[in-house]
Amino acid sequence: MSAQAGPGTYSPAAAAGDRRRERKEELRRHLAEDADWPRADGRSFHDCRPAFMQTGPTTAASGSAYAEFGKTKVIVSVFGPRESKKAMMYSDVGRLNCNVSYTTFATPVRGQGADNKEYSSMLHKALEGAVMLHTFPKTTVDVFALVLESGGSDLPIIISCASLALADAGIMMYDLVTSVSVSCFRKNIIIDPTSDEEAWQDGSLVVAFMPARKEITQLTLTGEWSDGRITNAVELCMDACSKLGDILRDRLKDTATLTCE
Amino acid sequence: MKDRHLSLNQTQRVRLEAALQELQSVAPAAVSAAAVTVADTIPVNQEDNILKGHGTSDQDGEVVATLCGVVERVNKLVYVRTLRARYKPEVGDIIVGRVIEIAPKRWRLEINFSQDAVLMLSSMNLPDGIQRRRTAVDELNMRSIFEENDVICAEVRGFQHDGSLHLQARSEKYGKLERGQLLMVAPYLVKRKKQHFHHLEKYNVDLILGCNGFIWAGEHVVVGEKPKTTGGQQGFSTEAENFTPLETRKHICRLANSVRVLSALGFTLTVELIIETMEASASSNVEINDMLGAEFYVQTAEREAKRRADLLRKKNDAR
Repeated sequence: MSAQAGPGTYSPAAAAGDRRRERKEELRRHLAEDADWPRADGRSFHDCRPAFMQTGPTTAASGSAYAEFGKTKVIVSVFGPRESKKAMMYSDVGRLNCNVSYTTFATPVRGQGADNKEYSSMLHKALEGAVMLHTFPKTTVDVFALVLESGGSDLPIIISCASLALADAGIMMYDLVTSVSVSCFRKNIIIDPTSDEEAWQDGSLVVAFMPARKEITQLTLTGEWSDGRITNAVELCMDACSKLGDILRDRLKDTATLTCE
Repeated sequence: MKDRHLSLNQTQRVRLEAALQELQSVAPAAVSAAAVTVADTIPVNQEDNILKGHGTSDQDGEVVATLCGVVERVNKLVYVRTLRARYKPEVGDIIVGRVIEIAPKRWRLEINFSQDAVLMLSSMNLPDGIQRRRTAVDELNMRSIFEENDVICAEVRGFQHDGSLHLQARSEKYGKLERGQLLMVAPYLVKRKKQHFHHLEKYNVDLILGCNGFIWAGEHVVVGEKPKTTGGQQGFSTEAENFTPLETRKHICRLANSVRVLSALGFTLTVELIIETMEASASSNVEINDMLGAEFYVQTAEREAKRRADLLRKKNDAR
């Protein structure tokens, strides 16, 4: 069988592959220069991608939300609280069950989604501190996240979208959880990186934050960072999370007002 | 409009927006002002010793919402009425549920609550109608009364210490529901009333508005009437018993579609509104399957907007 992709296959066209290679070369060149450079989508270093969020796309679920940040598209469905099917001991607090999965077509190379197990546990840790688990004893809330298209910064978008879905489902929460990631390139810190930028980062920082209570529910740090830069990056993330929190609030308020009427 | 993504043309979209706008103007202005989201501060007078109810918590001396919904105030009690939450049962509620499991001396039912409800064998009338102690034989014959996936109507009897729900079906009006459609809507659309069982004589149809958002539309069953069969006519009578006339089936479908349309538009479900919608569809010669089309949705929204506007005008004239 020839290596060239035929018209009936799912492989990306050669031209698309060339374009991707060119973008990576350009990024590598900019990194070598170690100066400010225009990002592929025209944003500055401290600009987030345009966000679109919507509640209630899945009618069968107790609550659901859809989020689209640039090329990253995520849908989250929340089921419950419902009786725990596992034969467990009586528990005064409820269980939060999180599951993250990728569609086979989410990534440019078919079926190369991120490590779902790791993302599932990170989503659980981020939401656990915000959900009032003591309000639904003996029961389980299931959070299922599905990444439809992976365009970078997947986990923060999953966390924010899951928080919106939980609020839509009427689950008691201390506050909404918003999340933003930053990547570090030599001296530069860029917010909300795309998948191309994530491929060349020196380090990354993901912050899950409760804007109204000003509390961090999760902080994940990878790569090499100096103390001063970590502080700057966390402040940058918290500021972005607060603004994202306002977007989430507006979306929920619109839904509440519409439903009342 | 929730739960349905309709393909509206330009004219229909304009008409629907106009109807919703009118509904918005008719609705009390306090509603939108009282809408809160998670972690929003609820303004209260600190001098009054207010009681913090469901969906609220205390943070730095302020009352904060923990749910997304509408703030309600009853004297000193402040609580948040959530919109998309699961059903919260109260003793005496009429509910419709589906059997999911047969356990020793009890049936487990799915009733849109956070936990499965329990209907004890001792909490319901036996098929023979005799009041007696339940024996091991009755326990073995439980599947002949209700089996998995059967739809049942019952009443909330009470709660256990662990929060699980107990039901009872002692009256003859409760029990297995057959020959009809089960509809699932949001529980907040069904308000608690004195009467939840409705017999629409004109159509020979029963409508049960379950407080848990499960609605039953089915053929009318006369309470206490049990079809008796003799040996020779067994096969024929069983066939006749399972047969529902075509006209009745059409009425059931029309009734069910009326409920679907109203729930998708987010209107509170009352028997009067359901019948009105059903009759409007029949009088305007809308086919049963066309009731779920965009045009009928728009017509229903316009009709409801007009009805509410007239109601408001009458109230103002009375003053």
